[in-house]
Amino acid sequence: MKRVIGRSGTKVVILVSSIFFALPLLAMMRFAFQNMGVFDLRWSNVFEKWTFGIVTQPFHDQYFTESLYLSGKIAIGTAALTLGMLIPTAIWVHLRVPKARVLVEFLTVLPYVIPAIALVAGIVVIKPHARWFLNSDLSLIPFYTVLALPFTYRAIDSGLRALDLRTLVDASRNLGAGWIRTMTRVIIPNIRSAVVSATFLTVAVALGEFTIANVLLKPTFPPFINEYRMREPRSGYALAVLSLLFTVLVFVFLSIALRSPSTKSRQTSTKSREMP
Amino acid sequence: MTSITFNGIRKTFGTTVALESLDLELQPGELVTLLGPSGCGKTTALRIAAGFEVADAGVVSLSHRDITRTPAHQRNMGMVFQSYSLFPNLTVAQNVEFGLRNRKIEKVKRLTRVGEMLELVQLDDLGKRYPHQLSGGQQQRVALARALAVQPDVLLLDEPLSALDAKVRSTLRDEIRRIQTELHITTLFVTHDQEEALAISDRIGVMSNGQLEQLGTPEDIYLRPTSPFVARFIGSINELPNANGGGQILVRPEDLRISSDEDELEMRGTTTRVTFQGPVTIISVRVDVVDLLVNVHAASGSILTHVGDRVSLAVAPGRGIVEAA
Repeated sequence: MKRVIGRSGTKVVILVSSIFFALPLLAMMRFAFQNMGVFDLRWSNVFEKWTFGIVTQPFHDQYFTESLYLSGKIAIGTAALTLGMLIPTAIWVHLRVPKARVLVEFLTVLPYVIPAIALVAGIVVIKPHARWFLNSDLSLIPFYTVLALPFTYRAIDSGLRALDLRTLVDASRNLGAGWIRTMTRVIIPNIRSAVVSATFLTVAVALGEFTIANVLLKPTFPPFINEYRMREPRSGYALAVLSLLFTVLVFVFLSIALRSPSTKSRQTSTKSREMP
Repeated sequence: MTSITFNGIRKTFGTTVALESLDLELQPGELVTLLGPSGCGKTTALRIAAGFEVADAGVVSLSHRDITRTPAHQRNMGMVFQSYSLFPNLTVAQNVEFGLRNRKIEKVKRLTRVGEMLELVQLDDLGKRYPHQLSGGQQQRVALARALAVQPDVLLLDEPLSALDAKVRSTLRDEIRRIQTELHITTLFVTHDQEEALAISDRIGVMSNGQLEQLGTPEDIYLRPTSPFVARFIGSINELPNANGGGQILVRPEDLRISSDEDELEMRGTTTRVTFQGPVTIISVRVDVVDLLVNVHAASGSILTHVGDRVSLAVAPGRGIVEAA
């Protein structure tokens, strides 16, 4: 399998996939920011009449702030619930029931296989018995936690796999640390990048989920974008581009801010002295 | 100074018996090694002492205080692990400080202690480095400093040298012994390396199938093994058919006498190989269908035999142990 496609082949693959991802986004940006009718868009006028003022238009909509605020709250709640539940569970599985890892992996992938609309159908069935809970907008948090599981569990799991978890936990407990201190001082700092990825993936799911919010009539950001886009197509898409950029920036910020000191030193490390 | 006692410790994992019934007492300041092949139960015994496993039956006590059910983090044990166990997110100094912080020791005292410990393992200039910037030997030294920083009642060493290369291993082995003697700390050392065990221990417990086969000084274990298993496990051994009463006689290569006079001693054979190793020469002699090894020390004179020579052999008086058929 060595060098089947070669170095130039790799470049071609990267180029083609970049085009595949970038082209629809660029098309969306043209539609949103180029001030001309769709039928007039040509290669010849690709650099003409770009205006970015349109992006501020949705800000004046009364539901913009409200929906964004609600989505923000749900995202934070989902991330907190996910991390609070998932990290101890994954550690427990790794340490106590390593044989069950395959089963847990299978269970966590189910939300990816089962369509969101099926989940909604389930929610509708239990709604009469849990109206007190489902009436709250924040009731989306547990559903989003489940929806994000296929991504978040994998992120945390691979972080833990990269560690010699058993030895680190034993060492920490041997040095007098209880479970909470072992988690906060030893395990979590060492799976920092996995935690960042899981947080980002959770936030991305919570900020982008449309089906459940729409069917349950929760006024979150995605239903707002959808509704707004129907009213104002161009600025609606401008908003979509903006939220995409915002998400990328959040990820970059999280990655830099939560970088561990040992990672920083790794980049500047000099070769260690060899001595016993 | 603390003693640690295992009394009738039994541990099973599913249907596997890891420890049958272990009775062992470490005197204050003593270094005892549990030696045995993989799966003999030595590491299980250590993990039970540390509190990572709970015994199914029996009592572990620390200076006669029962700690069988005390959680790991409430026992005052220092442990060095086989694999590198330093916390990768903390610097060397922070690693050493970790146990002291857990014990809520004030900062000034903590830092002083960290300095002392790093000096003890001769790494006082590396406090600010991260574990990945250290060699394997350095990492194990830091792990030792970290374990000792909390002034543990007992030091537990779980094959701490096995991941290191031979040269570093022997240097660090001597260093562990020096520090252990200096601090006079009761130490339980687990290894499968007999040379390591012989070099470092006050007493050695040889284990097999969850049982302590023999407990004694390194000299006892090597020179006066009480069971065929111990005799075979430690050092090289020749197995001779026992002429009187069946079974076999197990005898070490240095306990066989050799003579170039074919008629002088009781067994006759032909030299098949002569390997000069400096202080000793190993001579391989075929007697009937059995190949026997004989160690001849350089001090005992020049080598008397060459490949193809007829020689005679005898077991030195009082040596060798009889294994019943």
